[in-house]
Amino acid sequence: MATTTLEPRAGTFSRSWVIDWLTTVDHKKIGILYIVNSFLFFFAAGILALFIRSELAVPGLQFLDQDTYNQAFTMHGTIMIFLFVVPVLAGFGNYIVPLQLGAPDMAFPRINALSFWFLPLGGLLIFSGYLFGGAAAEGWTGYAPLTDDTYAQGVGTDLWIIGLTLVGTASILGSINFIATIFKMRAPGMTLFRMPIFVWTILVTATLIMLATPVLTAGLIALFIDRNYGGSFFDPSVGGNPVLWQHIFWFFGHPEVYIVILPAMGVVSEILPVFSRKPLFGYKAFVFATIGIGLLSWTVWAHHMFTTGAVFLPFFSFMTALIAIPTGIKMFNWLATMWRGKLMFTTAMLFAVGFISMFLIGGISGVMLASPPIDFHVQDTYFVVAHLHYVFFGGSVFGVFAATYYWFPKMFGRKLNEPLGKVHFWLHFIGFNLAFFPMHQLGLSGMPRRISDYAANPEWTILNLVSTVGAFMIAVSVIPFLINVIATFINGEPAGDDPWEGNTLEWATTSPPPPYNFDRLPPIHSERPLFFLTHGHGHAAERPEDLEEEQVHDERPADVERREDPLV
Amino acid sequence: MTTHAEATAREEGKFTPQDHQSGMPTALVGMLLFIASEVMFFGGLFATYFNARATTSGAWGPPEGAHELDIALAGVLTAILVASSFTMQFGVWAIRRGDTGKLKLWTAITLGLGVLFLAGQLYDYSQLGFGVGDGVFGTVFYTLTGFHGAHVFGGAVGLTIVLARAMRGQFSARNHVAVEAVSMYWHFVDVVWIAVFSTIYLLG
Amino acid sequence: MSDTAFGFLLIGVAMLVVLGVIFAVASRGSRGEVAPVHPPRGVHLPPPSFLPVVMSVGGVLLGAGLAFRGDGEVANPFLAVPGLIVLVLGIFAWVRAANHEWRETEHGPHDDGAAH
Repeated sequence: MATTTLEPRAGTFSRSWVIDWLTTVDHKKIGILYIVNSFLFFFAAGILALFIRSELAVPGLQFLDQDTYNQAFTMHGTIMIFLFVVPVLAGFGNYIVPLQLGAPDMAFPRINALSFWFLPLGGLLIFSGYLFGGAAAEGWTGYAPLTDDTYAQGVGTDLWIIGLTLVGTASILGSINFIATIFKMRAPGMTLFRMPIFVWTILVTATLIMLATPVLTAGLIALFIDRNYGGSFFDPSVGGNPVLWQHIFWFFGHPEVYIVILPAMGVVSEILPVFSRKPLFGYKAFVFATIGIGLLSWTVWAHHMFTTGAVFLPFFSFMTALIAIPTGIKMFNWLATMWRGKLMFTTAMLFAVGFISMFLIGGISGVMLASPPIDFHVQDTYFVVAHLHYVFFGGSVFGVFAATYYWFPKMFGRKLNEPLGKVHFWLHFIGFNLAFFPMHQLGLSGMPRRISDYAANPEWTILNLVSTVGAFMIAVSVIPFLINVIATFINGEPAGDDPWEGNTLEWATTSPPPPYNFDRLPPIHSERPLFFLTHGHGHAAERPEDLEEEQVHDERPADVERREDPLV
Repeated sequence: MTTHAEATAREEGKFTPQDHQSGMPTALVGMLLFIASEVMFFGGLFATYFNARATTSGAWGPPEGAHELDIALAGVLTAILVASSFTMQFGVWAIRRGDTGKLKLWTAITLGLGVLFLAGQLYDYSQLGFGVGDGVFGTVFYTLTGFHGAHVFGGAVGLTIVLARAMRGQFSARNHVAVEAVSMYWHFVDVVWIAVFSTIYLLG
Repeated sequence: MSDTAFGFLLIGVAMLVVLGVIFAVASRGSRGEVAPVHPPRGVHLPPPSFLPVVMSVGGVLLGAGLAFRGDGEVANPFLAVPGLIVLVLGIFAWVRAANHEWRETEHGPHDDGAAH
């Protein structure tokens, strides 16, 4: 007997778009909600950054007092990491992963929606500290005993703790959804080693989220108990251990930064082959490098704590340097993908190539920081701020914009305007480097981070001024982007199913896809199913049967027959 | 299904994904992953316990003037919870055979044992004479056992839902993923207790 | 009026305004008729649901109750109790919805009776 399909109601019915979006369990709508919500928080945290840079442009406290300044950099970091960069990549994952797998939706659609709604509400809870005597002000890392109730009085820090616990729980649920979807809902023929690299990076990222975030939750709860119920976890005056907080926080915090970067690497790995008209070089190496980075990320957390004196330096330094190897493999594979390709520098491609160059710089400063002698000199200086912005911003945010320009046509049926996109890119790229490159020198010459003011000193002043100019340039670069998005919604050029001649399944359906994603799927015998459907083997494909006959001997025989790999 | 037949089916527009799920049901995969995340949560709490124990100078245990920990009672609680894991598994085996009656019986017994465990835990708390705010030991003791108890409570809620659905005849041999999922969670809660008991009461 | 009380008032008013706007916009109906979805055979999609939003609100209320704790309390009862009630009712509604869908797809070869 045919499966009963579940439909909201029989017959046609009217429903307002507000209720539609509030009650949706469709991964595509939820993905868009994630992305829009994340960009709103991006702009809010960006404004906080402008406050910071304005204050630091020249010596002397101009218009922020120290406590407000502390709240600004704390909220900037917290919002950017937890409410922008992780959720926006999760949003792209939500939209694209089921499509790339040939699935009709995520494994647990209602829990998917639940995961989303905690974000705007949890984020507002964190921000609401401003209404109640001041937001959290101890840095996004929340070190004890500064965050204990002796020093951080007021409800802002409690709101920060609770908000992050809620947002963290939501992301754990989301990660379970992704893993279950990837293991159980792939289309026939899509073995694990035929999945797009983006899906692989989401898989490893979701595993990291699922295993690391609960540790943060435990730490946050412990901190809440210390602050509110007289606990003694971290308060040295009653026998607690402040370094314990750092261990718990960074045991989460280091996998967290790989959570932030891996999906962006996945996006770049999708974009480069399409706009180089060549397959990704070294697919399997990519997969193993991603898994390797995921595994190694658990072994390096104490490199954030070298200067505490409580860390076995040789081990953590060695393991940290080791991560450069799988990362380097990816770098060379990306370059090899582009080598001798027919390069097309669309805006998405510009951001992808920008990612490679900027993340390279961030990676190099990271390897420098892996060395304790260097780290002892620059810990808690602007050198670290430079490093983290080159990897977070030069890496992940470039990846986010690349993903936006690449997948916007699929999501909304229209291509973003290319010339405007290029204006956005160049303003963004130049502004970014102006803002953050000087920080390397500032750190090396001793400027500490998280200070609201500094002594007058010609070298520092000019570098800070240049950095502030760069920050405002980044802000200005957002304008052509927003104009582009709005104008494209109003009157953009229609995109069609496959505007970029992509390789993966999301381009095998309409733009935007119907609610159930696919009317029919192309045959899947490689990691580029659409490429083979359109191009065959050097000649145009005829009927799917012909294609299979030719391709069978190309694949390892065992792969062709297998459907999804069962979990047990 | 051969490649050729698959291709034909696909060409005709028939969808072949979830037609027959191979391997573990998706909901069970979800529960397993959730349990993994919970293991990491307790890992964080255990880390605080071990770190506090290692960095505390002086004796490690309840503060001055409070009672020593009641190992005997904790042992009884352990026995109760381990027994409840067995009864839960009996229930799972029953429904795999299609025996709804026995499922209801064993689920009810498991729920009863779980509630007994919680009552015993609360009684223990009332006898201890120190609280979460009484020094490092008090803090980590109550946090670790308290969150475990909260998870037992969550499991009891799940058992209640399973019992209610079983009483409405919603489970069959072919179709009882919720029972399997709740039983997995219940075994996890039991294993965590064994770790808590060994760490706090046996290791000391 | 103290800062905290003023903050609560602001939040309460903001929530009422937002709810009012949603209600006003929602009751004006849609841009047009929405046709039901006919996915291909073998695919089933769960219907839209208010429960995710409702559960998130409940969770945030409970969390806010913990954050806005008065001295000597475990949590602020005015926030935590409504939050708990919403969560408990939400769980009941979720399980009931799952049961309902399970019953509808009873005859399907691959349903698993799980709530998701």
